[in-house]
Amino acid sequence: MIKKTHSEKETYDFAKGFAQKLMGGEVLCLIGDLGAGKTAFTKGLAAGLGVKGIVTSPTFVLMKIYDVHNRIKEMAHIDAYRLSGGQELINIGAEEYFKDKQCVAVIEWADRIRDIWPKDCLKIYFKILKGDDRIIEIKK
Amino acid sequence: MKNIKVKIILAIESSCDETAAAIVRINGAKAEILANVVSSQIDIHKQYGGVVPEVAARHHVINILPVIMEALQKSRVNKNDLDLIAVTAGPGLITSLIVGVEAAKALSAAWRIPLLAVNHMYGHIAGNFLQPILFPAVCLVVSGGHTEIVVMKDYVNNKKIGQTVDDAAGEAFDKVAKLMDLGYPGGPIVSAKAEEFINTNSKFKNQIKLPRPMLDKPDFNFSFSGLKTAVLYAAQKLNPKEKKSRTSEICHEFQNAVIDVLVGKTIKAAKKIKAKTVLLAGGVAANKKLRESLKAAAEEKGFKFSVPEFKLCTDNAAMIGLAAAQIIRNKKVPLDNYKKIVVDCGWELN
Repeated sequence: MIKKTHSEKETYDFAKGFAQKLMGGEVLCLIGDLGAGKTAFTKGLAAGLGVKGIVTSPTFVLMKIYDVHNRIKEMAHIDAYRLSGGQELINIGAEEYFKDKQCVAVIEWADRIRDIWPKDCLKIYFKILKGDDRIIEIKK
Repeated sequence: MKNIKVKIILAIESSCDETAAAIVRINGAKAEILANVVSSQIDIHKQYGGVVPEVAARHHVINILPVIMEALQKSRVNKNDLDLIAVTAGPGLITSLIVGVEAAKALSAAWRIPLLAVNHMYGHIAGNFLQPILFPAVCLVVSGGHTEIVVMKDYVNNKKIGQTVDDAAGEAFDKVAKLMDLGYPGGPIVSAKAEEFINTNSKFKNQIKLPRPMLDKPDFNFSFSGLKTAVLYAAQKLNPKEKKSRTSEICHEFQNAVIDVLVGKTIKAAKKIKAKTVLLAGGVAANKKLRESLKAAAEEKGFKFSVPEFKLCTDNAAMIGLAAAQIIRNKKVPLDNYKKIVVDCGWELN
């Protein structure tokens, strides 16, 4: 699926809608440069899943877990920005969330931890076009 | 349950990459620091551009008991003289927090000394409690993982009224340092570069302009994610040679942008709640320019200003002891409290 957005708000809304299609157990690998819309997408996704409260950057702690009171019970928000491989995420137990059918895991800067991508993960690519225009491409 | 009148506190802190222990003595209304031992892992984590949780935890395991013993030795306090153990139980890295908390629980059970869990962010604020504070107060707490405005009715009753909606201020410094190839930790490096720019008569005096995110919004929230992106765009416009020669200019403008927003929102909050004092706390409070700017702005508006000395700004255990000293004035800690204490890596201030 390819979607073109024209503002941060539109990226947020697209992700919010996309969240409705998730069943639980998905691992979303977000790939794109600084400012491409990964954070806006994640915030929209969280809102769509029903996360209450503010979703803040997990760069410092690598992973933050949010409760969702829904068919999906949790959202794991992971940031691989500081990493050069997946071992560190395995060490803090991230894989448990990848396998959990009641959890949606979203990984920013996922290109840095290709070595631990689950086979059936969804790859979401963000490309910066002119100004605030972005292309979001979702691949199986 | 036994109510114990507390006089001497052993405090333990291991929420991130510093393993720390301190001895704090309560003397009437005053608390004093008898020992403050910090074992830092900064050199170890430099190569990763940030703290690696599992590596940090391994070092905490090695350092925790020597640090506690050193604090006892330095203060010449015997374990039998201790009235309370205080430990940081969150927020922070779960694998780091567990080491301090489990060590504290083991000592509490073995030595039969009550154990109190302390919030790390409240600990940062308590770094200001060596001198009496006039309330109500507004505190700006800024660190690598947090940026918050907290309203304080008195020493122990506080309420968070604003926070970052994305990156923490300290994190923005780290990310800017990384994208300008300056190294880690970003705070001191970016700040030194900014200073360098002030001290040179650059022909590019303030040509690069960065946004002041959320400054004009009525709430007390912050956003630094977009500012980091703006730095990236500003750097991309320069050719490699210019990028090198104008790094200090970008750092200077970036630091000014962060400080303008932090100071602007804090003063606005102080005016709104009719505060008597403005407090600054957290690791980023070690930033000299931020200390000077917030002090000047607060005093200009007639508020008293307080910031901990440098060594009480970065992570340490003395601040946890000072926090505990206030909490136990109104709260009894039962001897078996250690059984109830669990790590809470997302523990929010109320």
